[in-house]
Amino acid sequence: MNAVTLAGPAPVRQRGESLWRKAARKFGRDRIGMLALGVVLLYFVAALGVWLGWWAGGWGDLTGVKWEAVSRAHWFGTNIIGQDIFHRAIYSTATAFEVGLVVALVATAIGAVLGAVAGFFVGTVLDDVLLWCMGVLDAIPFYLFVAAVAYALTGNAWAMHVAMVATFWVGTARLIRGEVIKLRGMEYVLAAHSIGVSQVAIIFRHILPNTSHILLVQASITFVSAIKAEVILSFLGIGIRDGMSWGLMIDESTKEVLAGFYNNFLAASLLMFGLVMAFNAVADALQDALDPRKVG
Amino acid sequence: METLQYALRKLLAGLPLLFGVTLVSFALMVYFGPDLTYSLLGKNPTPEQILEVRQQLGYDQPFLQRYLGFLREIVTLDFGNASTGEPVTALLAKTIPVSLILILPGFILGHVVGLLLALAAAYWRGRWPDKLIMAVAVLGMSVSFLIVIIGFQIVLSSSDGLDLFPVRGWNASSLGSYLSYVTVPTLATMFVALGYDTRFYRSVIVEEMSRDHVRTARAFGLPESRIFLRNILKNCLIPFITRIMFSIPQVAIGGALLIESYFGIPGIGKATYEAIVTGDQPVLKAVVSLTAILFVLVVVLNDILYRVVDPRVTLR
Repeated sequence: MNAVTLAGPAPVRQRGESLWRKAARKFGRDRIGMLALGVVLLYFVAALGVWLGWWAGGWGDLTGVKWEAVSRAHWFGTNIIGQDIFHRAIYSTATAFEVGLVVALVATAIGAVLGAVAGFFVGTVLDDVLLWCMGVLDAIPFYLFVAAVAYALTGNAWAMHVAMVATFWVGTARLIRGEVIKLRGMEYVLAAHSIGVSQVAIIFRHILPNTSHILLVQASITFVSAIKAEVILSFLGIGIRDGMSWGLMIDESTKEVLAGFYNNFLAASLLMFGLVMAFNAVADALQDALDPRKVG
Repeated sequence: METLQYALRKLLAGLPLLFGVTLVSFALMVYFGPDLTYSLLGKNPTPEQILEVRQQLGYDQPFLQRYLGFLREIVTLDFGNASTGEPVTALLAKTIPVSLILILPGFILGHVVGLLLALAAAYWRGRWPDKLIMAVAVLGMSVSFLIVIIGFQIVLSSSDGLDLFPVRGWNASSLGSYLSYVTVPTLATMFVALGYDTRFYRSVIVEEMSRDHVRTARAFGLPESRIFLRNILKNCLIPFITRIMFSIPQVAIGGALLIESYFGIPGIGKATYEAIVTGDQPVLKAVVSLTAILFVLVVVLNDILYRVVDPRVTLR
């Protein structure tokens, strides 16, 4: 008697499309989103060149005289003391990316971890304490908080980053907390519990990865907020300390604008507007692409 | 009566929040804040003088004792004198009214216009007015507040622009001069909030429009205007109220700070900015504690308003 072959025909794998693959497909069809992503990448290349020292190294040099008009030597003209505005604006792009990336990554990471912990232990003392922290940070005016942190760190160049991270994680944490409260009641979490997976593993390996679509959108929103806050803080004199940024350029330009010279103001504000606009559009497209309720 | 009891209970529940805010601001601004000893002393102070000033400022006392002293100042509203020698309470009484009449028109108009635009967008959902309004909203969201202020100033007030309003400053002695000074700041505040508000309002309205009970009402043949007012907008009230209420503390400090320091308007925002720059602690203390109190009041008022618009909400 021949041995019975137990293995039947291999079952056809369910060709389910993962959330990410589907999102990538949806995003790829979003023309505005793709265009905006291209613009962001262009800005990123400009920033990368600054970091690698390819261009804009001479942002602080006096290369001309006061308020030169647009020319081949000075693409955007020169500022009140004769520095090249184009170089300063490009250098500031790198500053914006540095601030945006650092703040967005750190704030989103903190928000994810604390939000997940609060949501998983909802109703316990731990949750109450975390909610209290979030409430306290929400209740302190942002600019005062930044100023206070700047003083407490006595002129440290990272004071602004620390203050932004300390306030921006709260929004993400609240969102993640809500989502985790929803997820922790699901069957797969119960299953993990019952086969003895530790709580830490459940939170970080089973639940948190399922909120990554929210984290991606939140990180892009935080990036935009950080860039916008940097400009205002630098203008108020509690932001970037050494280096150059769009906020410092606009601060510089307020004296020039009253005298009728607009190059500095226009260069900084248009470049900033372009990046923020493109990033907002990318964030919108991401949100649409990752929203499971929207078919596509 | 029930409402009053509820409000008191809510206020009590806000105490931990106040405790937290005062603790953080004390630790950051006073304990680890700038050392004021030498700014109070003359040149070449003797060690005895230094010790005396440090004692006067309370630097020799432990953390807890200094924090309790800080709390006492807040509870009794006795913040001492600003670095100019003026009592902080007098400074507040002088500056807060200016900020109120400066910010209020833009705050109200911003929400009203945002709501109207959102209604229009939701009404023509998916058609060109909707797309146009939403595209402009994203544009508005992408412009920095600072750029809006400077841009409006150039266009409306400078000699290169329309030159209609004063460039900067403040004078509210008559209605005419008040209007001429308040217009540009109001337009700037409106503009900067409009993008975010319109998007938020539209998304809430659209969400409510797609509910089953709206479809049922339509199937019953109720007039469209009635459905819009009673079935859709009424249900939007809770998110709307939350949005408006929680924007109050932000506008009161964030908005006023930038507008007033840029236009040179003697309100609470400019006073705060100057206190930040010069490290004037009594003023900062007062501002932080007052904003925290405002925040708690907003939370309480918000919950009471829920009850007013939605009878299902019980005041537990």
